[in-house]
Amino acid sequence: MKLPERFFSRVLLAYLPLMVYPYGFFRSCVAAAWIVLFFWGSVLFFWLTRRFFFRPVLKHAFFLWLIVWGQAVWAVTKLPPFWILSVFFLTPSPFFDDRASTDPVRIFSKKIPRYAFERIAAGIGFAGFTALLALVKDVAAKDLGLGIFEQPAGTLLVIAAIAFLWKNQPYQKRG
Amino acid sequence: MYFLIIAFGFLLAVRGAKPAPLQDPKEGLRRVWREAVDFFLTTALLVALWIVWTSVGKAQALAREYAFLGIGAASYLLARYQKKTDLFFLCVAVTVFAVLLRQEGFLTSLSWVWAISLGIAFFQVCFLGLRYQLLLSRVPSSMKGWPLLCLLAGFISMALWGITRLVF
Repeated sequence: MKLPERFFSRVLLAYLPLMVYPYGFFRSCVAAAWIVLFFWGSVLFFWLTRRFFFRPVLKHAFFLWLIVWGQAVWAVTKLPPFWILSVFFLTPSPFFDDRASTDPVRIFSKKIPRYAFERIAAGIGFAGFTALLALVKDVAAKDLGLGIFEQPAGTLLVIAAIAFLWKNQPYQKRG
Repeated sequence: MYFLIIAFGFLLAVRGAKPAPLQDPKEGLRRVWREAVDFFLTTALLVALWIVWTSVGKAQALAREYAFLGIGAASYLLARYQKKTDLFFLCVAVTVFAVLLRQEGFLTSLSWVWAISLGIAFFQVCFLGLRYQLLLSRVPSSMKGWPLLCLLAGFISMALWGITRLVF
């Protein structure tokens, strides 16, 4: 089974704002873990409270939610709010579409496991991707002394290599 | 700030305002510069508003306490008024906050905003130009899409590094 391209797009776009943080491996992983937990929490919160937000209000409520949390996290941990962009990119795009279906989804619907799996996979993929790039950056810049990794170019070239491997992953027949 | 320029330049280039078709680079260039001017004016206006807000004695503590909340709400309203994308609003809010974190005077903050907007526009122009040139080349299908876009962004980042080291 070949993993879909949009999964990689989402993870890659969510990683780009994290590049702005001048963090090493450990702090990058902590920031990524926070983003993933917040993303899952947001999805759960808006899913549970979906009856209170009718479609045109949902998008505005989500952005207000992001701003308020950006402020709160800054006040407590001094983490600059670049991470809200990562959450924005991880959030599924139908969420921002005013014309998306508003049909109620029953709790035992077959759609729920698939929806949940996609959100969980996006979160884990993002955390893994961030950890991998932070590790490569740390090793290349500190241990190997490669100057290109002190600027975004090094990371972007590594991402290009990962994107190439992702795009050309072999098909695997299901047993 | 250089990381911010490259990251936001790349994000706005691939997910910003609706791009012009690659076959029409003049229209693409026009849109890039129009977006850059809008970005500069919006961020500069927000910086000015924040300076005014913090200059009022009683509001100063409140402004510092809830800086991102105020900036975020104001940038959201401004972006909606201009009918901009969600990404534009988030980039503006975060950029203004990053500039204000430096705690410099109004003119210095304004020059930071100017440099960032110009850097983002310059990145997008280079990106657009390279993509246009690649239309005429035979790129292997295995490289099309994200691999190629990331490679281009990496090359532009390397090229701009020399120039921006003079500024940052």
